[in-house]
Amino acid sequence: MELTLLLLLPLATGLLGAVLGNRLVKPLAVLGGLGTLGLAVGLALNYDTALGGSQFTVDKLWVKPLGIHWALTIDGLNLALVVLTAFVYASVVVACALREQENPRLFYFHLGLGASAVLGAFLAQDLILFVLFFDLMLVPFYFLVGQWGTGDRVGATTKMVIYTLAGSLLMLAAAVATGALTASHHGQHVDFLISNLQRLPLGKGTQQWVFLCFAAAFLVKMPAVPLHGWLKDAYKSMPLPVLALFSGVLSKVAAYGFLKLALPLFPDAAASFQDLLLGIGVLSIVYGSALAFTTNDARLVVGYSSIAQLGFILIGIFSLTSDGAQGALLQMVNHGIVTVALVLIVGVLASRAKGSEDLGSMGGIAMGAPVLAVVFLIAAFANLAMPASANFVGEFLILKGVFDSVTVVAVIACLGVAMAAVYMLRAYIRAMHGPDTNGVEQRDLSLREALPILPAIALILALALSPQPLLKRSEGPATAAVIPAAKAANIDPIQTATAAQGKR
Amino acid sequence: MLNSYLPAIVFLLLGGVVGTAFALMNGIFGPKTNRRSASKTSPYECGLPSDVQQGFRFGISFYMIAMLFILFDIEVIFLYPIAVKLKEFGAFALVETSIFVALLFVGFGYVWRRGALSWR
Amino acid sequence: MIAAIKAPLIDWSALAPFTSLTVGAVVVLIAGLVGSARLRSWLVPGLALVTLAVTAVELLSRWNHPKVIVSEALRVDNLTVTLGLLCVGAAAFAVILSLRSDTEEGVGRGEYHSLLLFTTIGMLILIAANDLVTIFVGLELLSIPLYVLCATELRREHSLEAGLKYLIVGSVGSATLLYGLALIYGATGSTSLPKIGVAISDTGALTDPLLLAGMALAIAGLSFKASAAPFHQWTPDVYEGAPTPVTTFMATATKAAALGILLRILVGPLLPAVDDWAPVIAVIATLSIVVGNFGALGQDSLKRMLAWSSVAQVGYLLAGLVVATSLGIGALVFYLVVYAVMTLAAFAVVIENERTSDDGERLSGFAGLGRRRPWLAGAMTVSMLSLAGLPPTGGFIGKLAIINADASGGWMWLAIVLVLGSLVSLGYYLRVIATMWMTEGSAEKTPVVKQAREIVAVALLAAAVTIAAGVLPSWPLERAQDVGQTVISSR
Repeated sequence: MELTLLLLLPLATGLLGAVLGNRLVKPLAVLGGLGTLGLAVGLALNYDTALGGSQFTVDKLWVKPLGIHWALTIDGLNLALVVLTAFVYASVVVACALREQENPRLFYFHLGLGASAVLGAFLAQDLILFVLFFDLMLVPFYFLVGQWGTGDRVGATTKMVIYTLAGSLLMLAAAVATGALTASHHGQHVDFLISNLQRLPLGKGTQQWVFLCFAAAFLVKMPAVPLHGWLKDAYKSMPLPVLALFSGVLSKVAAYGFLKLALPLFPDAAASFQDLLLGIGVLSIVYGSALAFTTNDARLVVGYSSIAQLGFILIGIFSLTSDGAQGALLQMVNHGIVTVALVLIVGVLASRAKGSEDLGSMGGIAMGAPVLAVVFLIAAFANLAMPASANFVGEFLILKGVFDSVTVVAVIACLGVAMAAVYMLRAYIRAMHGPDTNGVEQRDLSLREALPILPAIALILALALSPQPLLKRSEGPATAAVIPAAKAANIDPIQTATAAQGKR
Repeated sequence: MLNSYLPAIVFLLLGGVVGTAFALMNGIFGPKTNRRSASKTSPYECGLPSDVQQGFRFGISFYMIAMLFILFDIEVIFLYPIAVKLKEFGAFALVETSIFVALLFVGFGYVWRRGALSWR
Repeated sequence: MIAAIKAPLIDWSALAPFTSLTVGAVVVLIAGLVGSARLRSWLVPGLALVTLAVTAVELLSRWNHPKVIVSEALRVDNLTVTLGLLCVGAAAFAVILSLRSDTEEGVGRGEYHSLLLFTTIGMLILIAANDLVTIFVGLELLSIPLYVLCATELRREHSLEAGLKYLIVGSVGSATLLYGLALIYGATGSTSLPKIGVAISDTGALTDPLLLAGMALAIAGLSFKASAAPFHQWTPDVYEGAPTPVTTFMATATKAAALGILLRILVGPLLPAVDDWAPVIAVIATLSIVVGNFGALGQDSLKRMLAWSSVAQVGYLLAGLVVATSLGIGALVFYLVVYAVMTLAAFAVVIENERTSDDGERLSGFAGLGRRRPWLAGAMTVSMLSLAGLPPTGGFIGKLAIINADASGGWMWLAIVLVLGSLVSLGYYLRVIATMWMTEGSAEKTPVVKQAREIVAVALLAAAVTIAAGVLPSWPLERAQDVGQTVISSR
């Protein structure tokens, strides 16, 4: 019940605001954001770590004729991601509330719908329900980009939707096929509950194409390199707070999908396509980094760095080791928080540089803005996985996992770590240091600007000090997620896990 | 099997033969002179020159009334078989027929009221 | 004396929907002749709506009381009730949507509404048909008033063109169907659907070329009416030319009736021959999906676009028919109802936009609608999202159900075609949404015409039902599967 409430709260407040009128819309949205965050944190605190497993489970038959369940739960795998989503949504709503929006009623409605859909995708324990929320996520962002975006927003948003839905619709067919073919393969009726489907794996041949459909949907959403064509335009025209939500959590749904669905349900296919996906991951790391340090657009630095970071997450998952999966999970959370901070900081920087987000038109902002400089530096260091940051732990675990399973990939991926330092520091130096040749406004963070950013920074610092609680909760489920696929690929996922225990 | 088609085949043959015969007989027995007279080349070769001018059009009412006539005429035909078998069906058929006729009258009233019968 | 009347046994209560519609149609025709134009302008539509309401109630009372009536010519079962209600509802909404059109100028109100009711009777008879002759009678009674209705805007050339085109193509379709029915009769020796079923079951697998040819021709003939590719060429022109309320009616009710009888024939007597006809239907479905979706791309007229899209939607529906199980038929019936509702929403918006702006039917007329009239644009958005099959709408659940049926029935490739077709369809559905919300209107003209509340209400109601069908689909889906069950068990 709590989970249904959590899921529907952003949507409900958004809808209420849209109906009740212009004056109430902002307070309602902020209330919804903070309420969601409060609820999520409350659930996380009440999550019995000692007990583990699925808690707060809701399981009702939703569409009886099709066997679709309204099944939501919190387990170690999605706990952190749900809190992350609530946190990012709250920050974004606050950031939006502090600026003026055109047509605010619809804006906050779409924002709330987006947040609800993301929460739904994380919480869903029914395959079709997951797909439904995965598709639903896209709808509000289509409007958010198309209506409140800048530049060629219509073209950008159409491109984004077509790209993403190409994958999602294939996934829809594949998901339905999973249920139907499982039924015919095992000669018994099954519903779409993930736990039930997991018990009855598909035939090896079927797994292959079904897995590829799922992978297509997730890789487009992340995005991974050959499928990232929509990213540039969409990122360029998205309003910044919307971008924070989009980049912060939506890409994580895709990565989570691999862990939650693709590996446990199609272990044989995951094992046989391991090399392909590792290749895509490495390509994303290298190519994303290269793009990030050649672009002059502050926003795109964040965007391309996301490609690289999600490449890390992808190889972590497809190392098919416990360490890799755990690192990936931690990195999802880290990246979500850091992205929110970075995107909002880009907005602040642009306001100092006469609205331009071009790194070339910035420079020397740090002189008169020490707090901004420190905040930016913390976010940048976290993003480049400075030792002592939680990102470092995440990337370390990923690389360790990959090293144990496919060494070559790990070696190339290490390059990515170095490249991250290059592009992040380059962006920081270009924007903040150097002589002020462009006449930027050297004004420090105002309270209004700081309000949504500072919690993210605080969270970065907190996670850096103590990533352990997060890792502790995710260890069991992350290992469980990779075991079937690891078995199929003849990798021992645990050997490395015990070694990691010694490290900690 | 084919026996049942015999009348039809005979009918077709007969029709063909008679038609051809009449067409040919005209040329054989008719007067040989004056082949290209005005009456000969006119569309209706019935002896009299046509009175109808080129731009002539029938009034729309003509079509209207002709069409309505056919409609009502055909519907009346439906009454005939019932009349023949009325005894066997009894009162039920009478009631049915009355409804049918009443509906016809509705149609007639409609046509009248809409002015389809007034000559324009 | 009354007792002496020797009448055949007639189940008047099961026949009631048909009789009440007939009486209503006659009364409406007469009502169109009396009183002043002012009186007629509300009396005639009012009487039509009353007739439809009475019919709907009578139909509802037949739910779960299947009965074969009139010497086995009609079968009033759950399929008849469901699709009959759909057609009656579509007719009622057509009446509401045309309340403000200037029919007095062209055809009188009486004729317009009477023809609408007559074509509805045709649909009811067609859906309920249990005999080859009844099928043809129903189809003709459906078609002929519709030809006239297409041409009711006498002052507009396109309307006449639409009527004539529909007449000619429709006649070809009718003739094809009639020929097919004749061959089926020749092959099986009976016009009664159950007896045909028995005859086919006795002979076993379909080897009789006569029967195969008859089946093919019948499918082709009904495909004309349902505008499935490759029998769809008339659709864009007729949908564009006909008055928009009539187009709405055709796009919803005619399709439902045609698919209903196709369902009844194929899943009824021809079920033993499922391996023979399923590939044919699958090919027609694929063609419709491909042709419809690609045809709709780049259309600037909303009505034309919706016409092409309706071709594609028929393809989706037929993909459910291919799987002749209660799962497939349930999906088909559910999606058919959802399709009707979302199409109604789209056309209602088009009608309202046509009234209030000069180029309301063109895509350009929708520019900036989101700003001018957010509710109207919202209804259109829901409709487009649903037609495209995105959650949380009925269209999503409907497609899901059809894909599920296809996957379970071993037609996975058809499900993939359906999904790819939906992907293409985004190209034009999203274009409408983008035009409404993301482009500025060319000039902020103040609407000269007053907004029509009832049309907006219809659009919003249909949009709300579309969403409801996506959020709470359990109940309607179960009813749809009941319908599927009765069709299969009735043979």
